[in-house]
Amino acid sequence: MMEVLEELIRLPRKGEYMEIRLENIFSTTIRVQNGVVERMRVGTDEGGYIRLLAPRGSWWFESFQRWDDLKDKVEKAIAGASLLPQSNIEVVRRAPVRDEHKVTLPDDFRFKSLEDKTSLLLLYDQVLRETSPFLVSSLVEYRDEFRQIYLANSDGSLIYLEEPDISVSFVATARKEDNIEIYRNGVAGKAGFELVKNQETLAQEIGQRAVLLLEAPSFSGGVYDVILDPVLAGVFIHEAFGHLSESDTLYRNEELKRIMAKGKRVSSSVLNVFDDGSLDNLRGSSPYDDEGIPTGRTYLIKDGHLDGRLHSRETAFLMHEEVTGNARTINYRFPPIVRMTNTAIEAGEASREDLFSDIERGLYAVEYIGGNTALELFTFSAAYGYLIEKGKIKELVKDVVLSGNLFQTLDKIDAVADDFRWTEVGGCGKGGQIGLPTPTGSPHIRLREVLVGGSHND
Amino acid sequence: MIEVASLLKKEGIPGDLFTHRIFSQEVNYEANSFQGYKKEEREGYGLRAINPEGKLGFYAFNRLLNPQEAVEKALEVSQLGDRVDFSIPTYPSTWEWEDFVDPRVENLDAQEMIELGDYILSRIRKECPQALVDVVISAGREEKSLLNHHEEELKFARTFFGVGVSANQTREGDILEVYAERSWGSRDIDVEGLVQEIVSKLEFSQRVADLNSGKYPVVFTPSGSLVLLIALFYGLNGKNWVFGRSPLEDKEGKVIFSSLFSLEEIQEPWALGSCPFDDEGIMTRAQKYLINKGKVESAFWDLWSAAKKGIKPTGNGFRGSYRDLPEPGFSSLRVKNGLRDSSTLIGELEEGLIVDSVLGLGQSNVASGYFSCNVHLGFYVKGGEIQGRVKDVMISGNTYQALFNLKEISRDSRWIGGRILLPYLLVEPIEVNK
Repeated sequence: MMEVLEELIRLPRKGEYMEIRLENIFSTTIRVQNGVVERMRVGTDEGGYIRLLAPRGSWWFESFQRWDDLKDKVEKAIAGASLLPQSNIEVVRRAPVRDEHKVTLPDDFRFKSLEDKTSLLLLYDQVLRETSPFLVSSLVEYRDEFRQIYLANSDGSLIYLEEPDISVSFVATARKEDNIEIYRNGVAGKAGFELVKNQETLAQEIGQRAVLLLEAPSFSGGVYDVILDPVLAGVFIHEAFGHLSESDTLYRNEELKRIMAKGKRVSSSVLNVFDDGSLDNLRGSSPYDDEGIPTGRTYLIKDGHLDGRLHSRETAFLMHEEVTGNARTINYRFPPIVRMTNTAIEAGEASREDLFSDIERGLYAVEYIGGNTALELFTFSAAYGYLIEKGKIKELVKDVVLSGNLFQTLDKIDAVADDFRWTEVGGCGKGGQIGLPTPTGSPHIRLREVLVGGSHND
Repeated sequence: MIEVASLLKKEGIPGDLFTHRIFSQEVNYEANSFQGYKKEEREGYGLRAINPEGKLGFYAFNRLLNPQEAVEKALEVSQLGDRVDFSIPTYPSTWEWEDFVDPRVENLDAQEMIELGDYILSRIRKECPQALVDVVISAGREEKSLLNHHEEELKFARTFFGVGVSANQTREGDILEVYAERSWGSRDIDVEGLVQEIVSKLEFSQRVADLNSGKYPVVFTPSGSLVLLIALFYGLNGKNWVFGRSPLEDKEGKVIFSSLFSLEEIQEPWALGSCPFDDEGIMTRAQKYLINKGKVESAFWDLWSAAKKGIKPTGNGFRGSYRDLPEPGFSSLRVKNGLRDSSTLIGELEEGLIVDSVLGLGQSNVASGYFSCNVHLGFYVKGGEIQGRVKDVMISGNTYQALFNLKEISRDSRWIGGRILLPYLLVEPIEVNK
């Protein structure tokens, strides 16, 4: 395949920038619900794209499935791109890279039988369901995926990557009459089958949590001092600042560029935030991004000041900044766009206990259901929470949705604990590209005066 | 692919092969400038097979492989599969239906799409020169077919056309973003209406209005109404009834919503989603009430869930893609409209809120119906007049209570995503936090 690609990338001769991606995805999905193997799917998905930018032109992108007649496709792309309107788009060019990254997994899921996979899930399903008579529904979903990716571009780069991904997720539904609570959690990683083994305790905890939520009151809306656990704090920084650091949101917006100027103070000085796609073996990691640029660490916030942002070849060129290796695609159907990789709030110096000690009445928000952002506004839902009274964790509460505003909320972070950890489950959606693995990391953090939704039922 | 069906027939294995083909094109503009052109062609196959023990297997692929291999893989999977209570449907041979293919969409070329994009951009720029405008225009054709082990075939094709526009206005301390879209099966979308919607949303947003926390009457616009419908879609999903996790499963035949509220599934030919048969070969009905004058009439049933419940499927088995097995879903929906215009409803509001879009849709407890969202675009109304845009405001409540507390529904409706026809809904009270 490399020889074919080598020849193809030489076809454009008028200074065009071209990328070719070829991808093969082998995947297995198994879903067990209430003791029944309700869905089992094995499949292959093969395809590719050609992306081409003529000098002073605009992007031509074609996604296809067959790997034959590639030469014909490239020639058509060259011709098609020449007819598109002119623009000021240009990309950063780099020296060629030749590289090959093969993966060896401790317990390779490709060689596990469907029977092995299924029997493990049936076991988890049973453990989950047996937690309580109030559990009306259990769902255990397993997914593994092995990708082989060829990237070639006009720099003369030829890269072959292998990317494994495996996850198991548990969903428990507990019910008492019309009171229905859903709680979900799981594990995910760039790993082999070993990751999903021995998760009985997690399955049990998930069942118990759903039942506990049945009795928990809804949290009353209002403005509170809030402590976020490492999981929710990670989602918070992803939504609150990560998306605005993606340069495609601001590279053509002069006013927003001024607001997001480097060196500007954007939060209290306790906050340090980075994105790093080069970390060992996290789900957002890869030696190269999908434009063939090596990944690395970019500080977004250092000591409360805006330090950097995330780039593709295109945004880096237009903003006269360095590429950062953040152009990512979910698969061959979509062009790479600027995305986060692994994004985190760095550990601080406070102990977890310090954070709670001076809160008179507040909220401890834990784990997440989801998060959303629309530039300055963002919202994130906790899976559950606890009331804090006089520095102590009190009763369990549910229906906890927090919201914030770029211009105010970051400044409200006044303490960062030292108990950092990564969260790998979950994915991010942007521009129709949904489910991209974007792990987040954080210690516990404290925010003052945050808006929380909900009825005043007290 | 008929070879796969022939093989199933020869071996006496009940099964069906679902094929999905899509050709699509798109042009997009970012911040007032043309960005690029995309095209995509893809197809995929999903093969279901029921083995002699009655267990279901499934294999999905997009590369032509030999029929033997596809059937073998599906049967291999079936050994661990669920013993199903349904059989693969037979298809009527005499039934006739039309494809909904608009040649003006099918034969659209990049130049025409760019002309339309340029036009929309110039219209909005003229009225709102300070805004940065993104435009996405997409067009294409999709085809679905089913082949079963009797070698019977069903086929349906449609075109789709859509325009999405967002406009951004950034100032220090305030970033405003408004969005509007029109999608349809034919070329006949209301471009002028779309432009007008963006322009008026920008105009009404220039002032930021202040309001206090409390309970207010809220007018949900057609796009804002989704806040209330998301939980209802969960509740009407037949599979959730089977698994005992829908609050509606024991409410069939009961009036639990305002008598003003009716939700029906309809087959409006050019609406996206409308189809003569669902993704497992069950004929859809021309019209079906899910909620009729506040009463729960029916739910969404695919073959699997209907068989578990012991009832007939309703033609509501839909697949997310060729790689997915059918799940309960819907074709096109309509919330029945009322008698008076939305402008009258708003004009009569003493004090309240208009909610057009939210952040955090579906990220609360959809099972119980609880919602709590940040208002992305909403307006404060006093004395029947829009005072300005609200910011940093949350609304919360429960879908089931809100649709019981429905005060009025507007006469005017709009298609959302070309698939759900929604009026304005006036609900009182809704909790507002600031």
